Parts: sequence; structure tokens; C-alpha cells
Amino acid sequence: MLDARVWFLWAVTTLVTASSTRSPLYIVVLLLITTVVGAAREAEGSRRAPLSPLRFATIAVPLSALFNGLTVHFGDTVLFHLPDWLPLLGGAVTLEALAFGALNGLTLTVIFSAFSVFNQATPVRDLIKLTPRAFHEGGVVLSIALTFIPQTTRSLQRIREAQAVRGHRIRGIRDWLPIVVPLLVSGLERAMGLAEAMVARGYGAVSGEEQPLRTQGLLVAGLLTLVAGWLAYLFRAAWRVPAMGAIALGAAIIGVTMWQTGRAVRHTVYRAREWTVGDTLVVLGCVVTLAVTLTHRDAFYYSPYPRLTLPPFHPLIGLALLGLLMPAMLPPAKKEAKRERSREENT
Amino acid sequence: MRKLVAGAIYLLSGALGILAFVYPFFMPSGAAPQQGMARGQDAPLLTAILVGLSVVALLVELQGRTLSAKTVAMLGVLVAVTSVLRFLEVAFPMPGGFSPIFAPIIIAGYVFGGRFGFLMGTFTLLASGLVTGGVGPWLPYQMFTAGWAGLSAGWLGSITEWTDERLARSRFASRARHLNVPILCVFGFVWGLLYGAIMNVYFWPFAVGPAEQTWTPGIGLGKTLARYGAFYAVTSLAWDLARAGGNVALILALGRPMIKALERFQRRFHFQVKGRSQPMEKVETNA
Repeated sequence: MLDARVWFLWAVTTLVTASSTRSPLYIVVLLLITTVVGAAREAEGSRRAPLSPLRFATIAVPLSALFNGLTVHFGDTVLFHLPDWLPLLGGAVTLEALAFGALNGLTLTVIFSAFSVFNQATPVRDLIKLTPRAFHEGGVVLSIALTFIPQTTRSLQRIREAQAVRGHRIRGIRDWLPIVVPLLVSGLERAMGLAEAMVARGYGAVSGEEQPLRTQGLLVAGLLTLVAGWLAYLFRAAWRVPAMGAIALGAAIIGVTMWQTGRAVRHTVYRAREWTVGDTLVVLGCVVTLAVTLTHRDAFYYSPYPRLTLPPFHPLIGLALLGLLMPAMLPPAKKEAKRERSREENT
Repeated sequence: MRKLVAGAIYLLSGALGILAFVYPFFMPSGAAPQQGMARGQDAPLLTAILVGLSVVALLVELQGRTLSAKTVAMLGVLVAVTSVLRFLEVAFPMPGGFSPIFAPIIIAGYVFGGRFGFLMGTFTLLASGLVTGGVGPWLPYQMFTAGWAGLSAGWLGSITEWTDERLARSRFASRARHLNVPILCVFGFVWGLLYGAIMNVYFWPFAVGPAEQTWTPGIGLGKTLARYGAFYAVTSLAWDLARAGGNVALILALGRPMIKALERFQRRFHFQVKGRSQPMEKVETNA
């Protein structure tokens, strides 16, 4: 099983690559890659996505093609004319506009598909572990929320059944009242018990501690530098370099503040996950794809306007995209990991 | 002093987030086309970084004043309840942009204050995104916008509380208490539209379509607003009206009992554990 950070890098690399091109050949290659990787992970028993990328494509591609085709009246191959008196829609409907809209829909499908794979392949527990130490309390809130979601779902089911037995039927929003209020009250009762248990175990022992003034001051300084840099970037074209410098400095100040705040929190792990060869291989694959994408931006360029032509295909780019296929080429996860995942799903 | 600095952090992170979101409207018309285009290409990436940093700064400040066990427990459970409502939205698609998660965020922010509202908004979107497979490049923007809906609901709560105190001495005292729900309805309606309008801005610079609806760097504030207005009216207004109307309907139907329940628990959560040397007693503190 790959590290959650590696999966995140893989999804972001796919996002950057897909956003850099409108060439149908590269987009189809990316779509095939995400489909193969998704299928390989699903075979290992990953979580199932609520909306499959195929279903998403059947909605996004025709809608995008239709919207662009009807509203953009540009391109040499005119299919038919809509009356000029129609606001926005009036004018020539061209093959190029339809093709460009469909390509946008396909790009969206690739991005959706990549993040679907990310969501499927990464256990929620691993995602929570990515929470920076500075946000330790946020991580606790998130853990409580995720632990209580199954209980709350069962609670909702019980309340609905109880109300149904009394003859209650949901016909409008007002009929939700006898369901939502008991759900809320029972949830808050549980929160009350949880808070008492947490206090009893000493969780509140450090409550009341104030944020050090130095940390607050650093945050103000970081934000001020960012705002100044951003304003200079927007309104003073000649100050572009110093503005970018100010933005980088502001980001660094906030990053250091976050790191310092996080140092105060002790982080312990019951069983540390080891970095594997598979993780390194996937990172290398992403780095190759990302490097080629960022250094060969011209080679990715394609536009169907003004006349639809065959898109170019560079073998080097095609090979570089295959770097994203690495997660599918790794051996399947061990049975133990599968068991752990199914245990997590059950709880 | 601390309150002043904390206020400055809220203000600056809000300003940064808003400036980051609305940058397409401020690309100056005087900029040379090449400069405008160059900045137009890297501005969206910078926007994502700035929005992320402003959320980070605000979270560091909000969490820095250590959250009590009561707040952590209540926040966790309320986020769970609201996330379950999002399951309903995923399982049974509702009309347009209608989503049952905004009304609880707004009501919780209104009752418990801006800090709680911000955390409730950000964590609800994060937790529900994790469990419904909704993690993607859109998530930081959703968290930021929902967080601000909760934060501003807290400010609204403070304003109405202040107004109620003033009105309590006047002859309108009996009517003042009944104004909460209508005020929240208006607020929910505005945020229903605002959420969509803000979320559109983050992808609008990448969107393709007719020239009169797409973003071009350096065309000036007036023209950019007109183009965005046309884009919003064509692509999002009907969708967002369903969300705004849904917020109003939910607040009208569930607002009063939910506010009552939350206020009751707010009072119950006002307990503090004293050390062994002191007698155990109930003391009023902020949850």
C-alpha cells in the first residue's frame, strides 16, 4: 500500500499535466492511465467511489460540448446556423467549438478520475495522519467527526424508523423537523458524555493557555507581507520580482510559525509506516512526468481553432506520461493490508 | 492587546482570501498586454497558494487559543451530524445547488460565535469531503468559503445580541426575539448566492466560452465585472438560487427548534472542573 503523500503527489501531477494540454491524444492517454491505476487499486479492495469517472464523463463531455458549441460562434467548419435574434445562442454552430467543449469535458473527467483514485486508494486514517502537528486539535476534531459519522448514520436510521412506526411520512422540508431535532439532540448528548470523558482523562488540563503574543505577531507580519506582495503584484507590473519575493517571504513566515507551533505538540505513532521501494518508484515516475510537462509546455499545446486538425503526438511526451502508470505496475498489496482496510471500513 | 492582534489576524487573513479570490477584477487596464498575459498565467496558481495560506494562518490563530475538551467534542459531533446530512445530498441529488449543510453551519456560527462557526464550516467540508470522496483541488476553496459563512454568522449573532440588549429596554422587546429566524433567512439566502459566486471565481479564469463571458487579464474592473456577471447569470444563477432558497426553507422550518436546542446545550456545556483543593462547582465560562 502506497504512502498517502505519494498518492497526493500522483493526483497533483495528473492535475497539472491534464491542465497543461487540450490535445485529445494526451488527454486520452491520461484517461487510460487513471482508469488502469483505478482498476488496479480497486482489485486490491479499495473504497468504491460514489460516482464513477465513466458516469461523470457521460455527463461532463456532452454538456461541455453542447455549452461551448452553442455559445462560441468561432471556427471554419459551420454545421448549422441558429437565428441571430436568440440572445447568446444566435450564430454559427461550428465543429471546432463542439470539439473544444468536448475536450474540456474530457480534461475535467481526467482530473475527476485522478482524484477519485486518490480518494479510493488512500484510507481516511492515513489522510488524517497528514494533518500538520500545528493543527493537532483540528486533527482531534476530525477524528471525532469521522468516528461519530457511522454512529450518527445509525442514529438517523433508528429515528426515521421510530417516526415511521408512528405514521410519520416525509413529504416536505417541515417533515424533517421530527428527525433532525432528535438527531441533533442525541448527537449533542453524546458530545456531552465525550467532553466529560475527555476532561476526566485530562484533556482539558491545558485549556485556557493563550496563544503566545510572538506567534500572533509573526502571523500578522506574514499576512501583512503577503497582502503587500499580492497588491504590488496586481497593481505594479514593474514590481513583479519584488512582489513575488514578498509573497515567498510571507509564505515562509507563516510556514515557520506553523512549524514552531507544531513543535510544542508531541507526536507519537503506535506503528510507524515504512517508506517502501514502491513509494520511491511512484515518486520518480511523477517527477519525470512533471519535469517534462513543465519544460515542454509548447509541445503540449493544441487548439482545434480555427480549423479542426489532427493533434501532434510526441513520443517523448507519451513516454513521460507513462510515469503516472507506476502505481498500477507495483505488485498488489499484501493480504494483511487488505484485512486492515476491511476492518477500518467495518468500524 | 491580544484581542487587537487577533482582530488584525482575522482582518488580514480575510482581506488576503478576498483579494486572492477577486484578483481577476483588479488586473489593471493600463498593463501592457504581454505583462497582463504573463500574470494571467501564474495568477491562478498564486491564488491557490494565497487562499491556502490564509486558511492556515486563521486556523493557527483559532487553534492557538487551545480548544477546550467541550468545544472539541461538540465541534466533532456537530461536524459528524452535518456530514451525515451531506450523505443525503450525495445519495439523493437535490434540485440545483441545494445542500442541507449550510443551514447547520450558519445556525451553529450564529449561536456559538464566529470562531466556532469558522471551524465548523471548514471541518464540515473537510470531513464530508473525506467520507464522500470529495477531496480535490476545489476543497481548500470550499473550506475557506464555508468557514467564512460560519464566521460571519457568528458576527451576525453578536450584532443581533447587541441589538436585542438595546431593544430589551424599549417597547419592541417582545418582538425582538422573533426576528432571529427572518434575519437568518436573509443571511442564508445571501450566503447561498455568495457561496456560488465565490466558488466560481476560482475556476473562472480557466473557463472557456464566449468572449463576453470569459476572463481576459488587463481589460479593467468594469468590463471584467460585466463579463463575470454575464457568466454567472448564464451558468450559475439558477443553480445558486436553488441553494439560497433551500437555505431559507431549512432555516424557516428547522431554525427556531435548532437554535433552542443549541442554546440549551450551550448552557449545559458551561461547566468547569476545578482542582481537588477547590470545591467542585459549576462556573460560567465560554465553551
